[in-house]
Amino acid sequence: MKNIISTDQLTKRYRNITAVNHLDLEIPEHSVFGILGPNGSGKTTTLGMILDVINPTSGTYSWFGNRNKKENRKRIGSILESPAFYPYLSAVSNLKIVARIKNRPYNNIDEVLSLVGLSGRKNDKYKTYSLGMKQRLAIASALLCDPSVLVLDEPTNGLDPQGIAEIRDIIKKLADEKKTVILASHLLDEVQKVCTHFGVLNHGELIYKGNVEEVSRDEHLVEVSTDDNNALLKILNDFPEQLGVKEENGKFNVMLKPSVSVSDFSRYLYEQGIFPTHLLTKRKNLEQQFLEILNQPENV
Amino acid sequence: MYNHFKTEILKIRSYKTFWIIHILYFAIILLVISGVKLLLNFLAEQGEKIENIDPGAIPVFQFPDIWHNLTWIAGIFRIVPAIFIIISITNEISYNTLRQNIIDGLSRKDFLRSKLSLILFISVLSTLYLFILGLVMGLINTGHIETKYIFLYIPFLAGHFLEIFIYLLIALFTGLWISRAGLAMILLLLYSYVIEPIVTFRIDSALISGFFPIKAINNLIRFPFTKYALREVQDHLTWQDTGIAVFYAFLFIWLTYLILRRRDL
Repeated sequence: MKNIISTDQLTKRYRNITAVNHLDLEIPEHSVFGILGPNGSGKTTTLGMILDVINPTSGTYSWFGNRNKKENRKRIGSILESPAFYPYLSAVSNLKIVARIKNRPYNNIDEVLSLVGLSGRKNDKYKTYSLGMKQRLAIASALLCDPSVLVLDEPTNGLDPQGIAEIRDIIKKLADEKKTVILASHLLDEVQKVCTHFGVLNHGELIYKGNVEEVSRDEHLVEVSTDDNNALLKILNDFPEQLGVKEENGKFNVMLKPSVSVSDFSRYLYEQGIFPTHLLTKRKNLEQQFLEILNQPENV
Repeated sequence: MYNHFKTEILKIRSYKTFWIIHILYFAIILLVISGVKLLLNFLAEQGEKIENIDPGAIPVFQFPDIWHNLTWIAGIFRIVPAIFIIISITNEISYNTLRQNIIDGLSRKDFLRSKLSLILFISVLSTLYLFILGLVMGLINTGHIETKYIFLYIPFLAGHFLEIFIYLLIALFTGLWISRAGLAMILLLLYSYVIEPIVTFRIDSALISGFFPIKAINNLIRFPFTKYALREVQDHLTWQDTGIAVFYAFLFIWLTYLILRRRDL
């Protein structure tokens, strides 16, 4: 698969800190790629560099396999951090400016505004908008010129649950249209719901890169409890096929080795004379994976 | 360039501050010019003399002197559009729209070009305004009009254009460099009305002081009124003054570009 963007040893150093450290990042075409990382891990700095607003200390990048930065950015729809518009202008006028910069006609301004639900307020000044509406306008602006790539940095910031669901639908629709979406977020649940691939940044380095589906395939997590939790805990700790036991609200979360099935686990409990009052198979989620990756000794 | 200018027009078209500041600028010039005219008439009626000359007989607003006098008086108010330029560039920084413009597909050079087109537009507008104002006032006030005198001092309009254009470039540079509107305005005012005048006053060589930027643009149109006290006044643009001014135009464009290119947005 072709890469939509690749970076080569991309580095940004500020006076004392290295925000991004020799980053080699490749994002395949038609993927929905989630960039995860704790606050200050270099997500926005990385996006800022590949969008040409932050000058890299060293290293290079290329979009679409070429180096024509200005023209490439015209094919990318992007919001970085908070929405940025002229407060004294209406949504329509703001989008006209974007269309002009991208050398495109004004004809799909109404379409994108209705897509994000701003048609009713399109002639009102931007400064009268709520945070959620500002964020929606930013999404509309990113979609305006039918871009082949979208770069979204925390796109659901400030949105209510309904707004978040709408953004998710928009991203899914874009993925169906074979567009590439690069999504930086600390909302892991969001990433898991919409992304196909993800990478984890920490201290400016890419410490993990993977496929979202695989995260939920490898190992299973079982939640279990019974009347006598003390006996249960002892038996769980003795179970050789487990990778870890954690107590949470009077229930135990048991991580099973990939080779063991939930029925194997159930049979083991039965053989030990334990009859659970509660047994729940959980898919391992990105959040746990993420925390595990961050907590691995070499990454701390 | 024209395309960038159209983007810039979109930004200012419904921006109230733009209209208020520029209407103010043009109104002040009109008011002051008419004020001077009324004052001279008043003094003439009272039978007062200025340095033994009848004020009514001074051809301040007659062809061809009007071009020199008008452009010199208008130059006093160049700070007004300069304040707008500072507001315009610092807004782009504080709204993060400078960054968004780049993300959307302008290069940093393009962004500079679009701001230069705005400065060019304002300078042309101001020059055009003085041309019309000068023509109207001259036609009203000149008793006996000789065609060859109408446009005799018209090169001062070019001087005015250069003066405004360069002063707005200095404002653009200051605004971008300081990034904050209030601070940039104070610095520009302080430099152009206090610091540089003191420094150039202390330098007794007119040649050297002529190389300071504010002095350089002031030198384009020298103080005209002493000629009515029969002192000699430079009544034309010299190549040397124009050359130094044009040098500063390029210098400030280059410095502004340097900041834009180096800065993380």
